[in-house]
Amino acid sequence: MKPIRIIFLSLFVLAITPAFAENGSLLSGETMNYIGFGAIVLALITLCVAMYIVLKAFRVVAKILLGPEELEEKKVDKVALKAQKKAARSERINKIFSLKPMSEEQSILIPHEYDGIQELNNPTPAWFMYLFYVTIVFAVGYLLIYHVFGVGQLQYDEYRTEMAVAAKEKAAFLAKSADNVDETTVKLSADATVLAAGKATFDGKCAACHGNNGQGVVGPNLTDDYWLHGNKISDIFKTIKYGVQSKGMPTWESQLTPKQISDVANYVKSLHGTNPANPKEPQGTKMADDENSAKDAKPKTAMVVK
Amino acid sequence: MQPEKFYYDNKIVRNFGIATVIWGIIGMLVGLIVAIQLYKPEMNMHNQYTTFGRVRPLHTNAVIFAFVGNAIFMGIYYSLQRLMKARMFSDVLSKLHFWGWQLIIVSAVITLPLGLTTSHEYAELEWPIDILITLVWVVFGINMFGTIIKRRERHIYVAVWFYIATFVTIAVLHIVNSIELPVGFFKSYMVYAGVQDALVQWWYGHNAVAFFLTTPYLGMMYYFLPKMANRPIYSYKLSILHFWALIFIYIWAGPHHLLYTTLPGWAQSLGVAFSVMLIAPSWGGMINGLLTLRGAWDKVRDDVTLKFMVVGLTAYGMATFEGPMLSLKQVNAIGHFTDWIIAHVHVGALGWNGFLTFAILYWLVPRIYKTELYSKKMASFHFWIGTLGILFYAIPMYWAGFTQGLMLKEFTPEGILKYPSFLETTMRILPMHVMRSVGGAMYLTGVIVMAYNLYKTAIQGKLVANEAAEAMPLPKLNPEASTERWHRRLERKPIMFLVASLIVILIGTFVELMPTLTISSNIPTIASVKPYSPLELQGRDLYIREGCSNCHSQTIRPFRSETERYGEYSKAGEFVYDHPFLWGSKRTGPDLQREGGKYSNSWHYNHLMDPRLMSPGSIMPNYDWLITQKLDTTTTAVKIRAMQKLGVPYPAGYDKVANQDLDKQAKGIADNLAKDHIKVKSNKEIVAIIAYLQRLGTDIKAGKTANN
Repeated sequence: MKPIRIIFLSLFVLAITPAFAENGSLLSGETMNYIGFGAIVLALITLCVAMYIVLKAFRVVAKILLGPEELEEKKVDKVALKAQKKAARSERINKIFSLKPMSEEQSILIPHEYDGIQELNNPTPAWFMYLFYVTIVFAVGYLLIYHVFGVGQLQYDEYRTEMAVAAKEKAAFLAKSADNVDETTVKLSADATVLAAGKATFDGKCAACHGNNGQGVVGPNLTDDYWLHGNKISDIFKTIKYGVQSKGMPTWESQLTPKQISDVANYVKSLHGTNPANPKEPQGTKMADDENSAKDAKPKTAMVVK
Repeated sequence: MQPEKFYYDNKIVRNFGIATVIWGIIGMLVGLIVAIQLYKPEMNMHNQYTTFGRVRPLHTNAVIFAFVGNAIFMGIYYSLQRLMKARMFSDVLSKLHFWGWQLIIVSAVITLPLGLTTSHEYAELEWPIDILITLVWVVFGINMFGTIIKRRERHIYVAVWFYIATFVTIAVLHIVNSIELPVGFFKSYMVYAGVQDALVQWWYGHNAVAFFLTTPYLGMMYYFLPKMANRPIYSYKLSILHFWALIFIYIWAGPHHLLYTTLPGWAQSLGVAFSVMLIAPSWGGMINGLLTLRGAWDKVRDDVTLKFMVVGLTAYGMATFEGPMLSLKQVNAIGHFTDWIIAHVHVGALGWNGFLTFAILYWLVPRIYKTELYSKKMASFHFWIGTLGILFYAIPMYWAGFTQGLMLKEFTPEGILKYPSFLETTMRILPMHVMRSVGGAMYLTGVIVMAYNLYKTAIQGKLVANEAAEAMPLPKLNPEASTERWHRRLERKPIMFLVASLIVILIGTFVELMPTLTISSNIPTIASVKPYSPLELQGRDLYIREGCSNCHSQTIRPFRSETERYGEYSKAGEFVYDHPFLWGSKRTGPDLQREGGKYSNSWHYNHLMDPRLMSPGSIMPNYDWLITQKLDTTTTAVKIRAMQKLGVPYPAGYDKVANQDLDKQAKGIADNLAKDHIKVKSNKEIVAIIAYLQRLGTDIKAGKTANN
């Protein structure tokens, strides 16, 4: 029982470690993981040791309380009980495996030995044969279903079905959702929550190539007046969504939700003119920031239009 | 008739025993190091020779061929002599076999860290070593059959049936899977490409498990278990049934390693169907073993060797039930490429092979040294720490496998991958990887304790190098013999037995391999798929040298979760120039089949130099030596000519101008990198590997643009 308990405990602990790790505030998640982990291993070892000590202690206590004679009696009782249980168990096993009682074993001993090893002439257990037959029927059935009757879908049909179902579910979900934006409906926004969400995504996905402040590293500078693929909010949305394969900009359509793409696009717009340190040299053509300036110049009209 | 006197050769058994223990410790230690590298990449000791991609094959080769291999020979040399009532056929061949095998292992220990590899899993050794393996295997075969032929026992016992099947099948597997075209002394290209190469490799890989890790151990179980328990084998009939069923069915099951790949559907389905049918034949061995212990269970409580046997047999039973379950497509879709598989193989390897080996060592060493085991307490400690070690290893790995397998498949309601970054799933399972290395360390501790215990046992006794024995010579076959049942008759004809086993294993081999290798409609070609440029070809060989395929697959299965994550699913026609195929079997990192064009050259440069620059938290090691090492272009011509021989359509005489193209492409990449302020000479290795990575999976995109 004890080992089983230990296993369950360790499984439980393993299951909850990641949950703890995610809330790490000061330390990084990884360090938290390791600390939590060390603690668990330590706790497990302590538990093993503690159980061992308790077991020893019980024995000593039993010896003192019962006195030597009584202890002997108890032992004898225990042995008798054990023998009884064992007999009952072996009978059950004999039934399951259709075994001959040990006393009749001589009758099925094959009269031959190999370096002292003998063999019994037991039949193959019935349940074993059934297991074999069932797996054979399964195998034949499997081949028939997939390759003769064509009932089962092979992998490419299975894939088409999976994609069709997924597309339907996605459409149904997005129809109900307010976040269903695309490059034609995306709107410029200076809302603080939008920009904060955009910054979070930017830091996680974009900063590696465009720099923490959009100054450009491998990818182009996003803060200057020069643009490769347009500087309108709809252009930026499109660039992020579909990527630019030839220049190494990945497609984000399958990794970010439409709302996230829109947030990042707005965040990128907000970076314009921030003049970060170590800017990358300009790439593309110089473009005026029509949208932002338009907004600044005629905020009232913009509001009205909206 | 007088009984004949002769001597058993115990010295060769002892030698194989020592080799087993030493290589076991080395192999497991290397395993522990690579396990730690999976959460602490710096454990590669900052040099290329001890980095995961090169050392992981060393771990697998060392434990399979060095630890288990030597244990097999130890068990066979001990039991075969006694079952045949004869000394080994030739002492010279025995010695040749022993030293030849150790030479193979030493050459593996040298070549694998150097990056000399064929990239075929469990067959990584290059062609000169392949030839050496063949020779040593022939020596072993002659020695074994010589002994069988001069036997003093009419019928051959079930253990020897398994030895015969092992010998003949491993010979066939090794030869077919090593058909390669040398391009220099330590480099070769597989003759088959892509899908065909994959099928041959996994037909081999799966049956290496069957005929190197399973059948010889079943044979040893049939000898040592009844000896240890002093009980008769439970059922002779079951032995016959499960032996033939096992070797016939096992050989068909290889394609279950390639489910949802571009392998033809019929071959995949055969793999699944036969894997399921394997349950009963595999269990036959376990049942026959456990029921042999009937009436001896009270001994199991006291006798540590029997304890090892029982846990070993149970682990075998669990692994052989799990295997068929993992072959079911729906289960495989989650488990394949994850740590689940690692857990599965280690239950088999640590539980079945390891524990049986330990049991045999504990039983056999005191006997050949005519003494008692030095410390039963230590052996008992070994048993418990080993068992706990297996649990601490397997449970976290199962957990990690499920977690990652399910995370990778999860979508948000918006239809977007919930964990679009592969790295996120990797980070989540790192604690499980830490736990696994703790389990591995416990297991290794047990083995070291065993080594000490056995050493003490040996020095307190004295080796009986030649153990006296006597037996009656074989009398003339008496007339009753013709009334024997057919199988009984077969048991006294070892050569017939060999031929029968060969035929049985060749049936599945032919049905599965032949159509795929010969019928072209099984691999539809794609017009836009072109041979690799010389630079890409060199880059590909670097990818092979560094063992990238140990962590990165190159095959995208037709699942929504994979096409959304990686791009369009793989097509058979894309791999036709891939000698060898590089699909991999484990995704410690993401799939790379559509890597080409996903990132810029400078991204790859930075990422290879230090992966954490581009992917914070990554557990990929730094490959900074690629930046300093010069690409060896002297091999380009011979490589191009070899590829032409294998049917890759480079224009005639291209080998002479290939290096000009190579330089041009390399310069282009170096110039491109320079634009991003990365100064690197175009003759460095990193340029070649970037060229290869940027080519991966792009050919069918080119086809699309042309069509549109």
